[in-house]
Amino acid sequence: MRRGLIVPVFGLALGTIFLGGLASVNRLGAQEKKEAMPEPTVKVGDMAPDFTLRDTHGKQVSLHDFRGKKNVALAFYIFAFTGG
Amino acid sequence: MQNFQQNLAKLEAADTQVLGVSMDSMFSNNAWAEKIGVTFPLLSDWGGDVTKEYGLYNPQYKAARRINYLIDKEGKVVEMQIDSEAIDPTKIVTLCERRKSGGK
Repeated sequence: MRRGLIVPVFGLALGTIFLGGLASVNRLGAQEKKEAMPEPTVKVGDMAPDFTLRDTHGKQVSLHDFRGKKNVALAFYIFAFTGG
Repeated sequence: MQNFQQNLAKLEAADTQVLGVSMDSMFSNNAWAEKIGVTFPLLSDWGGDVTKEYGLYNPQYKAARRINYLIDKEGKVVEMQIDSEAIDPTKIVTLCERRKSGGK
């Protein structure tokens, strides 16, 4: 009688593990999508959107300050103290 | 940062202003600039408005994607380098020098 019970219980446990596994695979997929890199909206040939930001001394610097005078090499860094 | 700093004289000679942007505060940018001896402006995009406008905001790191733009005197993007390509700005330096000698 006992053995007759163990098989279905075991089967149920396996089934639960299988479904749980499927769910976590799904979750991984969603996470990968979320971690995709942002796609730059400003591309070669576009006008660079103007901005005004503060430098390390608190002085305001705008992109339009250099219009008609200089090219601008604009470098976006991930964090301070990172390489490159 | 260091790579742009090393090429700064060449870029300035080719009528090019270097601007660095990060989403850090003015204060940590200042410490960073002093530590590695950066003399070009390092701008703080605290809050990330500019980073977001350029489509470079990475929500996972709450920071920008690494990218270099070359913007000409008329305000138009003429070159971009993304991620690992952005570490070496030689392409931008060469382009600026060529534009200068071409009278642009």
